[in-house]
Amino acid sequence: MTGILVFALIRDGEIEENVLGVLNKVKNFTSLGDVSAALLCEQAKDEWISTLGKHGAKKVFVVEAPELSTYLSRAYVKAMLEIIKTADPKVVIGGGLVNVEDLIPRLAVHYNTTCLERVTDLILEGDDLIAITPVRDDQAMVKMKSKGEKIFITTRAGAFFIDENPEGQEPEIEKLTVSFDEKDRIVKSVEILKAKKTVNLKDAKIIVAGGRGVGGKDKFAIIKELADLLGGEMGATRACTDLHWIEETYEIGQTGQSVSPDLYIAAGISGAPQHICGVKAKTLIAINTDERASIFKYCDYGIVGDLHQILPILKEKIK
Amino acid sequence: MNIVVFIRQILDPQVNLEGIDYFDESKINADDLIINPIDKNAIEGALKFKDSEGATVTAVCVGDLKPEKAVREAIAMGCNSGIVVNSKDIFSHDPLIMAKVYHKVLEKIGEYDLVMIGGQVMPTSSYAEAPILAELLDIPSVLYVEKLEKKDDAFIVSRVLEGGKEIVQVPLGKSLFSISDSEYFIPRYTSMRGIMMSKRAQIPAWTLEDLGLSANDVGQDISDLEVLSLENIVIEKESFIISEGEPEEMVDKLLEKMKEDGIKLGGA
Repeated sequence: MTGILVFALIRDGEIEENVLGVLNKVKNFTSLGDVSAALLCEQAKDEWISTLGKHGAKKVFVVEAPELSTYLSRAYVKAMLEIIKTADPKVVIGGGLVNVEDLIPRLAVHYNTTCLERVTDLILEGDDLIAITPVRDDQAMVKMKSKGEKIFITTRAGAFFIDENPEGQEPEIEKLTVSFDEKDRIVKSVEILKAKKTVNLKDAKIIVAGGRGVGGKDKFAIIKELADLLGGEMGATRACTDLHWIEETYEIGQTGQSVSPDLYIAAGISGAPQHICGVKAKTLIAINTDERASIFKYCDYGIVGDLHQILPILKEKIK
Repeated sequence: MNIVVFIRQILDPQVNLEGIDYFDESKINADDLIINPIDKNAIEGALKFKDSEGATVTAVCVGDLKPEKAVREAIAMGCNSGIVVNSKDIFSHDPLIMAKVYHKVLEKIGEYDLVMIGGQVMPTSSYAEAPILAELLDIPSVLYVEKLEKKDDAFIVSRVLEGGKEIVQVPLGKSLFSISDSEYFIPRYTSMRGIMMSKRAQIPAWTLEDLGLSANDVGQDISDLEVLSLENIVIEKESFIISEGEPEEMVDKLLEKMKEDGIKLGGA
């Protein structure tokens, strides 16, 4: 039993980028053995396998089946258990997304062990893999490890950097066959509704984003006005899209877009980890009525005040 | 339809205990204990079926502080009954152990159709109880549900995905749903009638023995999870925070300081 198995989630026809971040993190833990990847899909593309190799996977285990065309827990658990049985890794790890958080803990159950969740860093101390997870809105962190014979880990979205110039080789490929039955098809995916990707926040240099503190659908106008005035884009937190104050396409954070602008104005945003993990700004300005809001720890500049008072004045002054 | 909702009791995140102090049980005031907010969304989901299908809803809280308080609040919201498992021996940081206790609770309850649970324990962002419990029960499950409706012979479930959502169909029958924070599941307030009911309600308190468990089955020693340390995160960033003055003065101060630092606000 040796090595690290990385679950390679496919999203929108590509290897999801958190997979590459995780590969980059674990490929240096050579004392734990080789890194391999588990690719579950209807039909594997050569480019996926090359990408996994480049980013550090020495070997890719592939299971192909129509049942795996989209993530459904039962079929994915079955296929992953087969790969784990074959690969016999010490560590099974997946990065970030909802479906990974669905899958990895389920696998742990079959080995009667725990799952280390939403890890943002991993450190190798001797042969011990130490996981770090922030808690209490990122005010504190837990250092922990698993004593399990196998170690199951999920990581927080965006936790690890992707190697921009990966130099890995073409990996070895092992295809496994898994048969599925009626029970594996009980839960059916009817359709996946994507938020309209009309707003490209990824490349925006300036973003003005609103959170729950904006206070309502009709109150978003000031966010948009300021964004327009600055020549930037408007963004929002998950809470706002959930409450239908603004369309999902504007969402920034774990379940939305990841952004890296020069300037980020966070208005009425508390700074919850799920949001902050998607923001890497050169300069962050926070405006919030609650002086204890964790956003003030991340910001470069902060104003403790009501955004509906501050932003209109800011707008006038910039004009 | 019998629904079991698992709720967790946590210390109100609004409480004035920062960082590691938040987790220091000696500093906790029992009055500050609340239902884990997203578990209230799960209660709401169950109560929607009580309204539409006449479902019977049982709220279960496993904890060692004041779980009765959480269950009484759930009843005040509209749940038919509640059960507490009050034990100091349960190592509640390990989602596998919590899920195993929940599994035993369901075995003892016997007849149930749906299990509902909040998608995340807020202070630790732990979400693994639901997938682990679903796997232990070996029943159909959907996680991160943002909308849940019964149509003809199936549940039509909308679940959160990155950058969108997925519509999933689950045939009627024993299933587990983990609920996320969405408009559809905004929890209702407690009602006067509910509060009266909750005051009168008899809430059975089950022990580990009642569940066929012993302290050894659920304690820290048996867990593979080893917590090495809990430390405050110190962010070394220097923030320039303006907390006093009239709004206009504050904006002036901000612009002045930014100018001084050579940071441009941009402009179209």
